[in-house]
Amino acid sequence: MGMQEGCVSVVDDDALVLRSLGRLLESRGFAVQTFSSAQEFLERSERAVPGCIVMDLSMPGLNGLELQAALAEARDSRPVVFISGRGSVSSSVEAMKAGALDFLTKPLDEEKLIGAVQVALAKDRAAQGQRAQHASITSRLATLTLRERQVLGRVVEGKLNKQIAAELGTAEKTIKVHRARMMRKMQVDSLAELVRAWTLTQPPQI
Amino acid sequence: MDAHPAPANLVDAHRFRPPRWLAPALAVVIGYYVAAQLGLALTLKPHPISTLWPPNALLAAVLLLAQTRSWWWLLVAALPAHLLAELQSGVPTAMVLGWYVSNCSEALIGAGIVRAFVPGPLRLDSLRNAAVFLLGTALTAPLVSSFIDAALVRLIGWGDAGYWDLVRARFFANVLAELTIVPLIVTWAAVATSTQREARSARYAESAALFIGLLLVCVLVFDLPHREAHASPAVYYAPLPFLLWAAALGPAASASALALMTVATIWGAVHGLGPFAGRTPEDTAREMQLFLTAATVPMLLLSVALAERSRVEREAREQRRQLTHLSRVAMLGELSGGIAHQLNQPLTAILSNAQAAQHYLANKNADPALLAEILADIVAADKRAGDVIEGLRALFKRGETHFETLDPNRLVREVLSLAQGDLATRGIEVSTRLQPNLPEVRADRVQLEQVLLNLVVNAAEAMRTCAPKDRLLIVQSMATAARIHVNVIDRGPGFKVPPDQLFEAFYTTKPQGLGLGLSISKSIVTAHGGRLRATTRRGGGAAFLVTLPALPRQ
Repeated sequence: MGMQEGCVSVVDDDALVLRSLGRLLESRGFAVQTFSSAQEFLERSERAVPGCIVMDLSMPGLNGLELQAALAEARDSRPVVFISGRGSVSSSVEAMKAGALDFLTKPLDEEKLIGAVQVALAKDRAAQGQRAQHASITSRLATLTLRERQVLGRVVEGKLNKQIAAELGTAEKTIKVHRARMMRKMQVDSLAELVRAWTLTQPPQI
Repeated sequence: MDAHPAPANLVDAHRFRPPRWLAPALAVVIGYYVAAQLGLALTLKPHPISTLWPPNALLAAVLLLAQTRSWWWLLVAALPAHLLAELQSGVPTAMVLGWYVSNCSEALIGAGIVRAFVPGPLRLDSLRNAAVFLLGTALTAPLVSSFIDAALVRLIGWGDAGYWDLVRARFFANVLAELTIVPLIVTWAAVATSTQREARSARYAESAALFIGLLLVCVLVFDLPHREAHASPAVYYAPLPFLLWAAALGPAASASALALMTVATIWGAVHGLGPFAGRTPEDTAREMQLFLTAATVPMLLLSVALAERSRVEREAREQRRQLTHLSRVAMLGELSGGIAHQLNQPLTAILSNAQAAQHYLANKNADPALLAEILADIVAADKRAGDVIEGLRALFKRGETHFETLDPNRLVREVLSLAQGDLATRGIEVSTRLQPNLPEVRADRVQLEQVLLNLVVNAAEAMRTCAPKDRLLIVQSMATAARIHVNVIDRGPGFKVPPDQLFEAFYTTKPQGLGLGLSISKSIVTAHGGRLRATTRRGGGAAFLVTLPALPRQ
């Protein structure tokens, strides 16, 4: 079995269970990091790409739900798969509402666990791709001058060069120059590409 | 219609079925006849004076044990036996029938009074029942029937004794008979129908020793010729130790011992032996009757009082035991979620380890050292699951109290491991501060575990509303002079009622609580010679302190 891409972080306070889950995931080709408590995880965990977290719901100290909240606060978007020996409905609902990817009960069904981990990693990978694209567009945007940015804003609104020139109080020729430089800096060849890149950087509108 | 009637019905229709009343009726006939013969054998000569006339008392005992609706045919059954026994002695038939009437009236009055106050078959298992029997059957019935009896004798003109002499003679003879025969039959009937048969050989040996000893003393005192005209009063007390011994053994033993002494005393006098011989038959009979009645009444009451007390104690003990077990099981029910979690953990570890090993083996990249580690973990997980089950089994069992020497710290650790699943799911951290080398205690393991588990579960429940960082359970142990202390401390809201109210039965703050846990815990600790106290801590939270007497160090 080939090495799977990504790293699975397992958090469980029970050393025997923690070791066994680590071994099971390793035997199926995942890279695994184990943590014996939520605190240890928060202190020592490294953000791997892609990554996901498999954690016990009930632990002394910070429990699974509280760790989930702490992750959300830290803007760590890694998908979480909860495992619990005592699947109470209220806590599983709470976990799923807070964005948990799956909720598995012990003893674990191996295929369900592997399936959930694979889905979690794929999700993080996809999110990661989006994040990378977002970052590159943002950095490209940062290279634009104020004038180029003004031109971009009007181009994506569908305005013609003539209209933009009138609005900015300058010649249409000058706008053409700005527009060509802006398109080059944004590394796009067509208006359609520019609009797509621009949209990615905008907060979603409802 | 059923064309093929079951063959069994045909057979049944032709088979003779004795009616249900036949056996008891025959028993009455035979018993009454034997009792009459015994009465005749114990009659003083030359002119017959009966000291003890058993048939009436036998009849009364039968009625006391029977259902009221059976009384009429039981009395009818006595008639043939009565005629058979009495007509042999040459008494006129009218007198024989008159005595049958007076005998039946005595039995009916005696049984009727008792039945009015004590429903159902009489059992001499409480002082109240014994008092009703003494006043109704042993006093009122002989009194009333002796007037009837004497009137009939005078009416028919049998003999030449005066009316009041007749009343007096009949009364004392009947009182003694009721006192001797009825308790004997009633108590042995209770023994025979008892559900708890104490067939202990030690008990039989003790009874045998008692009755041989009593028989020897009675023969020596009552059945040997006396040289002096008047025996020393001290001889009458010779059987007393045996009678007290019998009273301690129970009402049946007491009634039997008293009957033995009564028969021995009268038999001696009838044969001109013992301290009562050598007077006129009337004097002898009256002296014996007074002596035997005076001995019988207090001994019977004593035996019933002792039996009643031990029965009440036994019932209270059994009730306490059931309640203790019940609350233990209820508590384990509360813990069941945590216990499932505790079993799930090792099961998960075993399964995942085994599956990992399968994959390594299937991929032919199995490192023997890793496989050895996996197997060691599987063994450890399996042992852990076994320990959980083992700890539970003892608590679920309903057993007798069994004292043994225990290490308090070990007890604390066992209880915490049992509650560990529940504590983990509640997100409670446990901190133990156990003083090493504590002296041991002498206690019932299951009961003490129940107390500690109850305190731990309560503490966990009290911290339900706490912030996660405050969910800390502290268990301390320490020793002071001749005592050990275990303190269970939580960081919950504490309690707002006086501490004493916490230990009252049915006081609870839990929605599904029985309110028995703390009250039973306190009674367990008290029964161990210790104390259970509750305090609210200044920084919030409650502390429950168990104090037990420590065993001296080896």
